[in-house]
Amino acid sequence: MSYGTRRVLDGVDLDVYRGEVLVLLGGSGSGKTTLLKQVLGLAKPEAGSITINGVDITSCSQRELGAVRRRIGVAFQGGALFNSMSVADNVALPLRELTGLADSTIKLTVWMKLMAVGLSDAGALYPQELSGGMKKRAAVARAMALDPEILVFDEPSAGLDPIVSAGLDELILFLKRSFGMTILVVTHDLKSAFHIADRVAMLYRGRLIAADSKEKFAGNAHPRIRQFLDSRPDAPPGVAAEEFIATYLRGPKDDH
Amino acid sequence: MSFLEQIGQTVVVGVEDAGALTIQFWSVVRKLPKILPLAGTGRHWRSVVHQMLAIGASALPMSGAMALCTGFILALQSASELRRFGALQFVVDLVAIGFTRELGPLITALSVSGRSASAISAEIGTMVVTEEVDALRVMGLDPVEFTLAPKYLAALITFPCLTILSTLCGIFAGYLFLAFSMDMSIHIYFQAVVEAILLRDVAFMLIKSLVFATIIVQVGCLEGLRVRGGPEAVGHSTTAAVVKSTFLVILADLLATAIFYLFGWSSVK
Repeated sequence: MSYGTRRVLDGVDLDVYRGEVLVLLGGSGSGKTTLLKQVLGLAKPEAGSITINGVDITSCSQRELGAVRRRIGVAFQGGALFNSMSVADNVALPLRELTGLADSTIKLTVWMKLMAVGLSDAGALYPQELSGGMKKRAAVARAMALDPEILVFDEPSAGLDPIVSAGLDELILFLKRSFGMTILVVTHDLKSAFHIADRVAMLYRGRLIAADSKEKFAGNAHPRIRQFLDSRPDAPPGVAAEEFIATYLRGPKDDH
Repeated sequence: MSFLEQIGQTVVVGVEDAGALTIQFWSVVRKLPKILPLAGTGRHWRSVVHQMLAIGASALPMSGAMALCTGFILALQSASELRRFGALQFVVDLVAIGFTRELGPLITALSVSGRSASAISAEIGTMVVTEEVDALRVMGLDPVEFTLAPKYLAALITFPCLTILSTLCGIFAGYLFLAFSMDMSIHIYFQAVVEAILLRDVAFMLIKSLVFATIIVQVGCLEGLRVRGGPEAVGHSTTAAVVKSTFLVILADLLATAIFYLFGWSSVK
């Protein structure tokens, strides 16, 4: 997959097994978000296929893609809650639009989903009235509305304090244990990753460099994995004074 | 980039925009039957009503005020010239026909373009930036049916109403001028207006209003869906939506008026 001349993903071959929590790690620009969009059918790969429950979503019809998507729940990084609707209406939306359930049943289902994420009292609130952690949990409740088989989290701990982030990790584990969901988590939060993951995969410059159990991943000797796990920067800090002054006196290069 | 290259690039961008607008327009039209209250599922009717209030009802004071001012100006300017030819009585015809055929739809479109094209592109652009459009898609919901079609249906319903009201305001402003300057009675003025306006003028006014509604909503939606990046991109999209929709409205008005005259529909009965 390329944007212009920049190759964003290159030869990624990754399996996600039923019932596991797979954490996808990678630095900024590694291709995590692009891969996620392709898995969700929001972007098409230039080559290869993506098969979910036996359906190749890169070549299926819109109807088949819609059926696959209804088995997937997604909690976006910022929540992606609809600001014109209350939290309860946000959670009820897929139920109203995609099922023929009666209003009373939908109301009960919404309350159950909100209770599962600890937001049973927040149904009447609007997204702009929620804290960051509450938005994430409301997004999870909406993602679970249709009882999906697969849950996808995009950077669940982004922008959250450690306590709230830990609470969200526990929610993910609760969902896995209680409902047997297959969960894909895209993150660069190492602590969270190793707490919740069954397996860990890592992207580096668009390539998949590892996909192992978290124990094997932690012991992987690949230099980029070691650098990521040790949180080491690419280049040493500081600037050589002579080089800086020479560049400053020379002036900017003329590109034409 | 040389001057010729700039022209070429502008043409290419224009053709791309025209193609994207056409594809989007057709996608929206195909979804319209689904959101009608009786014929369709009726699930989005509340959204349509909300958009009717936002696009139509809240634009009425602005378009009405603009029409009143323009009507008064038109009557005043035409009277000052027609007086020299002893043809002051034709001010009524000029205001009535001018507003019915041209100024009513155009003033409505320009006032709504500034408000609604920018608001629509900002709303949809923000939805793109905050991944709400992606959220609709991954839920298996169609963003066109959910977001674009209700806006378009609301515009199709409210634009002709707004246009009629603006036209009446403009014509009434002409009466106000003539009442002050010539002490003309409302009965005489009203009779003259009715005699001046043909049924085809009214039909033309309504057709124009629908065309302008289409342009404003479709351009606003397209610019919103094209947003890439953050809040700055949303700001750029609102500016582009207003500029493009205003230009296309005037271009469409020129074409429609030319067709009107080419087919000889402007001749008296």
